[in-house]
Amino acid sequence: MKYYLKLGFILLIFCAIASGVLAYINTLTAPIIAERKAREAIETRSALIPGAEFHEVQASDGSIFYEARDPETQEIMGYTFNASDLGYSSTVQTMVGVDPDFKVIAIRIVDQAETPGLGANCTSPSFTDQYKGLAIEDLYVNKDGGVIVPIAGATITSRCIANSIRKKAIEVRDEINQGGGE
Amino acid sequence: MKFTKELTKGFVKDNPIFVLVLGLCPTLAVTTSVINGLGMGLAATFVLMCSNTIVSMIKNITPPKIRIPIYIVVIASFVTIVDMVMAAYLPALHKSLGLFIPLIVVNCIILGRAEAFASKNNVLMSIADGIGMGLGFTLSLVVIATVREILGAGTWLGMRVTPLSYDPMLIAILAPGAFITLGFLMALINMIKEKK
Amino acid sequence: MGYLGEIFVMAMTAIFIQNFVLARFLGLCPYLGVSKKLDSAIGMGMAVIFVMTLASAITFLINKYLLIPYNIMYLQTIAFILTIASLVQFVEMVIQKNAPALYKSLGVFLPLITTNCAVLGVAILNTTAFRSDSVTPYNFLDSILNGFFSGVGFTVVLVAMAGLRMRMDKADLPKSMKGMPIALIIAGIMALAFYGFMGFQI
Repeated sequence: MKYYLKLGFILLIFCAIASGVLAYINTLTAPIIAERKAREAIETRSALIPGAEFHEVQASDGSIFYEARDPETQEIMGYTFNASDLGYSSTVQTMVGVDPDFKVIAIRIVDQAETPGLGANCTSPSFTDQYKGLAIEDLYVNKDGGVIVPIAGATITSRCIANSIRKKAIEVRDEINQGGGE
Repeated sequence: MKFTKELTKGFVKDNPIFVLVLGLCPTLAVTTSVINGLGMGLAATFVLMCSNTIVSMIKNITPPKIRIPIYIVVIASFVTIVDMVMAAYLPALHKSLGLFIPLIVVNCIILGRAEAFASKNNVLMSIADGIGMGLGFTLSLVVIATVREILGAGTWLGMRVTPLSYDPMLIAILAPGAFITLGFLMALINMIKEKK
Repeated sequence: MGYLGEIFVMAMTAIFIQNFVLARFLGLCPYLGVSKKLDSAIGMGMAVIFVMTLASAITFLINKYLLIPYNIMYLQTIAFILTIASLVQFVEMVIQKNAPALYKSLGVFLPLITTNCAVLGVAILNTTAFRSDSVTPYNFLDSILNGFFSGVGFTVVLVAMAGLRMRMDKADLPKSMKGMPIALIIAGIMALAFYGFMGFQI
């Protein structure tokens, strides 16, 4: 019995050292990761609606979207928000910029791990550029009665992107209309 | 002399993938492009080198009964370090390797080398073994990824290498292509060996 | 869709659409190593189902009640692999003591399972998985079921592979193709066949 306690103790010491080292490295890398993510989010937002000033808005369900205003006139230029849904093999996250009438200005796929060669092509401009200028009602893939041509061999990924953007856009629109319409 | 021998044996003689057939999961999963294969190979090399070093250093104070759990703790720590550092500095690669970074822990090559080599040899030799095996693994990944990327996407390291008229065979970078490519490469190596 | 429907979707996804071996590339070492004989393939499959189900349950609890509350997610890999390794040891001891017959058929495969990446894979995937509505994260029961069905998916292809390879032994092949190369090519064709399930929307 004493022997097994000793073994357990040795193993415990190893685990403690390992956890200590990892905790230290985590304190080094975690801020870098967080900072990079924040910076990327800001960069993507400004690429979607160039030249705007962004204000964070918290929706009633706790999610966050951004209001883009003209830095000089304070006129609302549009909104950006994140939409995400389960694609074929991963959660696909998209950042969307819309104008005040909720027509899409541009979209950017920010996070995905779909099949290389098929679903992963959703990041290519030939797919994302199709969304430019579309109204909420048009945000369907063509098989579902919309105008978006899905990526060859990756209907599920394409459909999930279109649907997630449409759902989120409706949510944000309702939220703004409810808020008394600024 | 012996040092260089340990360093180079992983390339051909004891190649971990083509000869020993170890660590197949990451081999097939991440070789969709050369850059992924290279990233995975180097990550595994780093883990292999570090874990070999530590295992060899502690070989005299490790009770034989619990050596495997201790090796696993050592390996898992280095894997987590790689995971965190990659997430911080190489986010795109980190994302595309995804689940297979934490899974380096269960890559049979690493535990295998710790058990078969590092626990019996001195630190210097263990480092050489780790680097050699790791680079052999990396080399194999790059070879498989080269075939798959050229056939399946017409590119190498992202650069276009085939004429525009070539329509890429998508199947090569999908799951079935991984198995078939490795199968043919192994048959090729067997054939060369027989000729000798 | 009720919970039964949810279970059905999970089973279909884990077994056919996102098969662990053929689509996710997990557990390839035993898939190619233990598929030479039908008996051992069945034994290995059963052992994997058993360990995967148990591992899913325990790692879920560890993740939810230890790693997340104390904000030490970076210890996930270490915690999970140690849990799985000790779980396999423990299962081996219990079976050996209480069910010698079962131990005889499963015993040799149990130590191999620690380094089967499918087990660690399912544990990690469970922590980030969502139900088919893509909003609800897996709860305790979902994780267990997913572990079980993933194990079943593994067993299905492992047993099928063993059947094919036993026949392949009799085939007249070029010498350099024998053994591992032809097994890999069969696996590739099998993966191709499983692509037929791809795109099924349930």
